[in-house]
Amino acid sequence: MTSPNTLIFMELAIQQAKLALDALEVPVGCVIVEDGKVIASGRNRTTETRNATRHAEMEAIDVLLEQWQKNGLSMTEVAKKFSNCSLYVTCEPCIMCASALATLGIKDVFYGCSNDKFGGCGSILSLHLKDTASLNKGFKCAGGIMATEAIILLRTFYDQGNPNAPKPHRPLAHQATT
Amino acid sequence: MTNNNLILHIPDEPPHDLHHQPTVSVFASSIDPKHANQIVRRLNQIAPLEDLRHVKRIQKKVLEGGQIQLSVILCLAYEGDNQLDHVPPLLQELISSYQLSPFITKVCKYAATSKEEWQEQCKFWPTSYHPRTYNIDGITGFSEEDSQSVLKFMQSAVELATSDGLVVNAAVIVDPSAKQIISTARDEVFSWNTCKDESCYRKSDLSSSHPISNSLDPQKLLHLRSSCNHLKQSYARVGCLYPWQWAEQQSHSESSYYCHPLRHAAIVSIESSAARDRHLFPNDESSKEKNLESDHESLSTSSSSKRQKTVCATVEGDDKLNAQSQTSNQIEDNDKLNTHSQTSNLLSARPYLCTGYDIYLVWEPCTMCAMALVHQRIRRIFYAFPNPKTGALGSVYRLQGEKSLNHHYAVFRVLLPEEALHKCDT
Ligand SMILES: [Zn+2]
Ligand SMILES: [Zn+2]
Repeated sequence: MTSPNTLIFMELAIQQAKLALDALEVPVGCVIVEDGKVIASGRNRTTETRNATRHAEMEAIDVLLEQWQKNGLSMTEVAKKFSNCSLYVTCEPCIMCASALATLGIKDVFYGCSNDKFGGCGSILSLHLKDTASLNKGFKCAGGIMATEAIILLRTFYDQGNPNAPKPHRPLAHQATT
Repeated sequence: MTNNNLILHIPDEPPHDLHHQPTVSVFASSIDPKHANQIVRRLNQIAPLEDLRHVKRIQKKVLEGGQIQLSVILCLAYEGDNQLDHVPPLLQELISSYQLSPFITKVCKYAATSKEEWQEQCKFWPTSYHPRTYNIDGITGFSEEDSQSVLKFMQSAVELATSDGLVVNAAVIVDPSAKQIISTARDEVFSWNTCKDESCYRKSDLSSSHPISNSLDPQKLLHLRSSCNHLKQSYARVGCLYPWQWAEQQSHSESSYYCHPLRHAAIVSIESSAARDRHLFPNDESSKEKNLESDHESLSTSSSSKRQKTVCATVEGDDKLNAQSQTSNQIEDNDKLNTHSQTSNLLSARPYLCTGYDIYLVWEPCTMCAMALVHQRIRRIFYAFPNPKTGALGSVYRLQGEKSLNHHYAVFRVLLPEEALHKCDT
């Protein structure tokens, strides 16, 4: 079951992915939600920064870390904040981002399409699972939310190659499977 | 002891116990040598051994009296399946037309990674052994000169890690073809400078042209006086070792620095090598083109496999270039080159991300850092100390052996005594 809110937040993540596409970046986007409110968003910036680690998740996380500490929050308080946050991202977090999200102790992650080659939430590694040996508390994870839309954006990017080519209209049918 | 004994390659696969290598069951049958060619040709069509490419289809035994006995693998036999019921119909036909009598035998599941493994494997059933085909310097051993240089760079990393009262992880990214440091970083988990302005990119980082000084003596690390040993160091601040430690920080730091739980040394060094790239090559158009080869490409359709090949070809090409420049022009005095000529030198050989670069880390990286180094296309990783609880290059995971990833680096451990981390207060 996908709640209507889940779709609303994923729609916002997709909008972030579109911003990435417009900027000739791999179209992946995300939003971070606390208490039903979007508190940060991010999109892929690997081309602009020439830093292949600047994934959407990392961009959004950095915004929060800076903001919260500017507001005087201690690390204990920051940890508490993250444990109350949900991430909505158009593509399954990669191994790096999944590991980062576990390190931050995020509450849960909702993603669109799965990431067959780099996925860290079940596709290649399962870093969202609790692991007592390493003290990883893991996080809840659900995929397949508006996966079609996420894939269409990625195909637009890779298949057309030409950034000026017309983008397909946003499909209205939602095919959430979780 | 020579220096090259101090550098161990960490292979893609965990080492198997030589005498207990994993096996799988197969149906095999002895065949008449006269029909061998026909049968094997037919078998390759109707029952190819997809996951057992290292296993030879035919076993040849010379019996007493010089008579030759040939056996052939028909297909995989599934667990607890001693019947031929599940054998595909076309194979059933072949069995009956040549009047074969199938039996179950075992073959080794994985390709041998060493000659010793291969010799053991052939006791079950012959396999083929191909020593590593891709060519990365060091996998087959380091020259004395190269290992000297590896030890020196590792020493810089250790010095960086211990340069402040608290020991943290440190990273040094190096262009091995020029023996040049590209960027250096310490963990910034507890000392994050949030300044993002490009002007913040310190000039000192650019003077990264400092080639390692010749005064550094790699042997020094190995001959530390035992008087240092009693200093018991705490490694609680090493990001990759204790990624969850950050949340224990009680009060807001007094300094202008913030905390950033994810700013492990490897991540920071990647960031600073990217900043260096942007600074040296401000308007590089080709980078846009190249960055299309990004890490979500797996999600696209068939075109992705083509792109993948292009990436591989590029990487291989770069490796060759590096090997050449390494032998032809041993640039020893980079410090004499001024920034301008350095830039123009680099222009001709501007690498894509960190392609062709090595990274030296004091501790084996965690999963986040190891994957970041895949993304940034690092060529070789050297680390001194393993990370038993969260290490991703052999300890807990082994990303260098994850076949699905689009880039694979070679991983080495540099054997240093732990005392290398203990500074003498003299
Ligand atoms: Zn990622
Ligand atoms: Zn790390």
